[in-house]
Amino acid sequence: MEFAQVYDRVEIDEAPAGAIDHSGLIGTWINSNPDTTGVARFVVAEDDGQLRVRTYAIGPDNLIDWGLADVTIFASSPSSRVAAGFACQYDFGFAETLLQGMILKGLVVLAQIHSFKDDSNRASFFVREYFALEHGRF
Amino acid sequence: MSQTLEFKQNSHLDPALTDPATRTLNADKLIGRWINTNTKTQGIVEIVIQQEGEEFSVSALGAGLNGPIAWSKTRASVLANLEEEAGQRAVALAVTFNFDFMTAETYLRINKGVLVIVLFNTFRDDSRRSNYVTREFFYRPE
Repeated sequence: MEFAQVYDRVEIDEAPAGAIDHSGLIGTWINSNPDTTGVARFVVAEDDGQLRVRTYAIGPDNLIDWGLADVTIFASSPSSRVAAGFACQYDFGFAETLLQGMILKGLVVLAQIHSFKDDSNRASFFVREYFALEHGRF
Repeated sequence: MSQTLEFKQNSHLDPALTDPATRTLNADKLIGRWINTNTKTQGIVEIVIQQEGEEFSVSALGAGLNGPIAWSKTRASVLANLEEEAGQRAVALAVTFNFDFMTAETYLRINKGVLVIVLFNTFRDDSRRSNYVTREFFYRPE
């Protein structure tokens, strides 16, 4: 088994591994910052066995629906089968946005890497914001 | 002559994005050698960030069984950082290390003098290991 750091070097059961349990990611995640100028909320749902995210961002008048993106799931270690994060990518034509989420203390810390492809001379930029799962209990 | 800018969120229109200073803001805060705050880490032991002209590169040492494993010097993308309070802002970096069996994508940023990296590791072999994410903290030794 190849490795680049000791973290990578784990014993894997011979039994079929099965999919990573992504139940902790499913739901609607709300930005903790009511004054954000970026992502307002995102919805993670399973569709036909594939986990997808739908993102809504702050626009001048209303939320802007970015549509659906396929999700890659990450665990907390190579031997874990429980989701601890995810990544997905949007291509808007004029820009690409990579979303990388990590679950920390029940929140998703969402890193957003925006890269412009047009001739606007805008700098690629990075934002990191916190999202809480909408639970509807209180 | 004004240009109509496309956007998908209000922050795509932030005037700071077209300010040349935003691309290099406090870049010197990133440059140098960084040591993991966790002496028993099983991940990245050390990181070196270099700047040559406008280009940044990152090299690393991964924890190995019989000594550190060198991660080759890799070019990084510079990212304006709109997140921190004005006085704390410094550019962030994104870098992808490609190994035959795994890809490690990371972003690096400074938070109150500490280098924070989040590493998304994706296996490309048939080892059935789960892709995984880690977060580690680094300090300047000098």
